Amino acid sequence: MTSFTNNPGTTPPVDSNFEDAVLLRSVEHPGSQLKVIITLLGMVILGCWVLFGRQILYGLGVTGLNQPVAWGFYIVNFVFFIGISHAGTLISAILRLADAEWRRPITRMAEVITVIVLGIGGVHPLLDQGRPDRMLNIFTSGRLQSPLLWDVTSITAYLMASTVYLFIPMIPDIALLRDRGARPRWLYEFLAWGWQGTPRQHHVIERAMGIMMVLVIPIAVSVHTVISYIFAMTLQPGWHSTIFGPYFVVGAIFSGIAALLVVMIALRKAFGLHDYLKEIHFAHLSKLLLIMSLIWFYFTFSEYLTAFFGNEPSEMRVFHYKFSGPYAPFFWGMVVCNFVIPVLILSFKRTRKIPGILVASILIVIGMWLERLNIVVPSLANPRLPVSTGFYIPSLVEWGMFAGAMATFVLGFVLFSRFFPLICVWEMKEGREKALQETVKRVKSYLPDTSSSQTTVPNSGG
Amino acid sequence: MQSRTATRWIELLQLMSMFAIWVFVLGISAWILYLVRLSHRWNDVPSASVGISIVAIPVFVTGAAVLTYVFVGLRRGATPNPGDGEE
Repeated sequence: MTSFTNNPGTTPPVDSNFEDAVLLRSVEHPGSQLKVIITLLGMVILGCWVLFGRQILYGLGVTGLNQPVAWGFYIVNFVFFIGISHAGTLISAILRLADAEWRRPITRMAEVITVIVLGIGGVHPLLDQGRPDRMLNIFTSGRLQSPLLWDVTSITAYLMASTVYLFIPMIPDIALLRDRGARPRWLYEFLAWGWQGTPRQHHVIERAMGIMMVLVIPIAVSVHTVISYIFAMTLQPGWHSTIFGPYFVVGAIFSGIAALLVVMIALRKAFGLHDYLKEIHFAHLSKLLLIMSLIWFYFTFSEYLTAFFGNEPSEMRVFHYKFSGPYAPFFWGMVVCNFVIPVLILSFKRTRKIPGILVASILIVIGMWLERLNIVVPSLANPRLPVSTGFYIPSLVEWGMFAGAMATFVLGFVLFSRFFPLICVWEMKEGREKALQETVKRVKSYLPDTSSSQTTVPNSGG
Repeated sequence: MQSRTATRWIELLQLMSMFAIWVFVLGISAWILYLVRLSHRWNDVPSASVGISIVAIPVFVTGAAVLTYVFVGLRRGATPNPGDGEE
């Protein structure tokens, strides 16, 4: 795999006075391949914009969208990317709140994923418009009662909260880069906000992070619940379900953890972060992934069993369309990718190693994309109204836009790594200096105090 | 002298970015309140609009308030530069 930094073994030497210098290498000594990678990704994105220009010029006729399937790849990708965004802020906030010490090298990457994919996902409804300029009508005559507007509001709120939550813990690292003379100097001066590392400043940062980590959890949950409401609030067969909210949230966390694992494994290899992202981190996250796979299967089973048992004709049309009709390969592919293979790989310690985890995670990302496809298209293809069944085949324009979205995701990460460390340097330092004593103290507090129990007489109730 | 000028410019940029964040948050809040007013005028389920605004506006304001707290707190928590105050 290509290294994004100069060869770790030769030049430049790692700063011997600074133990985490390897974390800053991508910023201080970016490799020569970086420009090539940025150029290639930029070309893919440019091509994607050309396709979008063509779509604006000729309308949605250049896509595979038609009646009755008026939502296709764009909305599938919208739901998929917003789901992936749960990787970051939610997982990072939960791990921080739970004082999970193994979180330290993971949180930054997770938070970056959130901000990048929220930006990408948020643009997709705009791509789905034949006339994107009409989106401006929401400012003048939007209906706040519509779940579509709830989405606009909640995604904007989540993007803001996630960006704040990413930025605040970055301040000490930005100041470190400023003090080490990283360039462009003005950028680090501007973003460091005068950080000097005084106890008072540490207190301010910790307090702000405490507020944000509590705030982002309900926002993250609400975002995907609200996205599910776009579907569940209609009377379309296959969508009108009371468990769609939690089902979407579970799927989002599931795909988010899988995406995070893929990113961690890729960056570990690309930036030589083997000393920071150890087997133990992957083992912990993969156990979470296994649990989420089982929960996802439980929700999927409940969702389809209810439809099947009700035997309502329009619901059954969608049911058969997925189980044995044109969408059967995608439906069963989803089950295999999200449940069968990951559970087989992740249940056994022998296969629960980095290569196995990578295979399971990639399959889950694909499987969760298929899940979004299985939710969006079959219900539209089999409407409740007495019209003919539709079919949807995405056009090259839609595939091109999908490739552009993936390229934007990778480019976002590459650019972030060029300017900022991918692992929180000050949190690693804090982990070494303080966390060990704190963890010992915390574990002792979980256990019964044997010294006092020997001297205290139990209360007999008298 | 030049570095002091550069520092002033950066401080000005920081203040402007904080100002921009508040403009953004107040703009979104004003937009939400405008839509609530529209739903009242058209008698188009205003209760739902009010419910959404009660949740959404505080989230935006809290985000901006936390950033402002950090911005001000880091300034107050910094050790004074020995050169400051001497012109």
